[in-house]
Amino acid sequence: MALENVSNTAAGKLSVESSVNAMTGMESFHNKSHFWGRLTLLLVIIASISLPMYLSFVVGAHPGWGPILGGLLGYAAFIGVLWFIEPITYFPVLGVAGTYIAFLSGNIANLCLPSSSAAQKAVGAEPGTEKAEIAGVLGISLASLTNTVVILATVLGGAYVITLVPESIQGSFQFVLPAIFGAVLGQFAFRTPTYGGIALVIGLLVFFSPVPSLLKILTTVALTIALIYYFEKRKDDRQRVNQ
Amino acid sequence: MSLANSPVLWIIALFIIGMVIFQAIIFYRIAKEAAPAAGLNQEEVKRAARTGFISSIGPSFGIAIVIISLLALLGSPITLMRIGIVGSAATETAAAQIGANAFGVDLGGDGFNMQAFTTMVWTMCLGGMGWLLFTLFFTKSLGKTESKVRKKNPKVMAVVSLAAMLGAFGYLLTEQMVNGLNYAVAAVVSLTIMVVIMKVADRTNISWLREWSLGISMVFGMVGGSLMTTLM
Repeated sequence: MALENVSNTAAGKLSVESSVNAMTGMESFHNKSHFWGRLTLLLVIIASISLPMYLSFVVGAHPGWGPILGGLLGYAAFIGVLWFIEPITYFPVLGVAGTYIAFLSGNIANLCLPSSSAAQKAVGAEPGTEKAEIAGVLGISLASLTNTVVILATVLGGAYVITLVPESIQGSFQFVLPAIFGAVLGQFAFRTPTYGGIALVIGLLVFFSPVPSLLKILTTVALTIALIYYFEKRKDDRQRVNQ
Repeated sequence: MSLANSPVLWIIALFIIGMVIFQAIIFYRIAKEAAPAAGLNQEEVKRAARTGFISSIGPSFGIAIVIISLLALLGSPITLMRIGIVGSAATETAAAQIGANAFGVDLGGDGFNMQAFTTMVWTMCLGGMGWLLFTLFFTKSLGKTESKVRKKNPKVMAVVSLAAMLGAFGYLLTEQMVNGLNYAVAAVVSLTIMVVIMKVADRTNISWLREWSLGISMVFGMVGGSLMTTLM
């Protein structure tokens, strides 16, 4: 099924290239993104299944399917709902290509989104435009690359790499998340401080509400979209009346 | 445990990491190709890429520091493949514990044998696959919906995109700030510095300031949080 999809896309890509003039640059970009995004995801899926398969059936350390199923069910109960919620929640910001990169490399909120939005701001692109989409992809791909190289260096170099960083600086990394998130919110809110304030208040209310914790980000995002959309619409309506 | 560091595990882990690197390079290239159609000139392509690089250095080291604790727990290849894709350190640690429990032992505790290790690896690999499968099969339909909305009313996309970003980070920031006064100070300092930098960059038109804005604000926020901790 998955293989079929990818080969269909591959065939699609060939025809895209032959009729490239008939297609806009962005359409061609999306087609290529689907092709390469799906191909890389599929290969990684196969590789990540092959590893436990090797342990079970080549090394012979198979624990039986019972514990494996138990582990999977435990995981699904723990955060399985995020399998669907996260890609949907972040899609309006990441776009097609951004989603493929961010969900393969992980670290979406603390790495991919901040780098994407910083890149968009650096070229003065308005959110939701094609310019923002491409600038964001350039930002995320460089972020994914940097992060992967740092991870590789850390794993190969072991703890040694970290000892190069003085202890006092290491300690300050406990604040890396509030610092990233604060900066990103500031980046977006400085033009529209009211909306930034609204988002923060909704976030606070949802945090202390009895909404199940895994659904809290989605709830905040949905409420913020609804409220900001309502305000923008009212602003437009007023402008129309004034004209 | 030698099994956790066997050559085959290394080969698979390095293949996966290689795919992540390959994918990033491919997407960089096709985005660069599409740049003129989206209204970005060559200078702006470079600027966007440079900003992505600068902004990711701080977060990457933040991730690297957490990895160290996993290395002892999972061994190098498994850490590499799990953190290199999808997972965050917190999720993977929890997944490892769930897997070990499913075999009836504690992570790294008594009776944590080869079978327990294999159960743990299965749990992490199958669990992390949910995101990959969803993205593999459904990004296309999400993209189609987006194009339709954009064609019909481009302004809706702009509002939804901005509001989604604000909403997500509004929540994430709240979650951090309630951790304590020092966390709140780190967030507020970083937010304030960012607003100041963006205002100065707008007024003076110094473009490198925008490229460094995330990095600079983060450093100030982290210093602010640390200073607050010593004051407390």
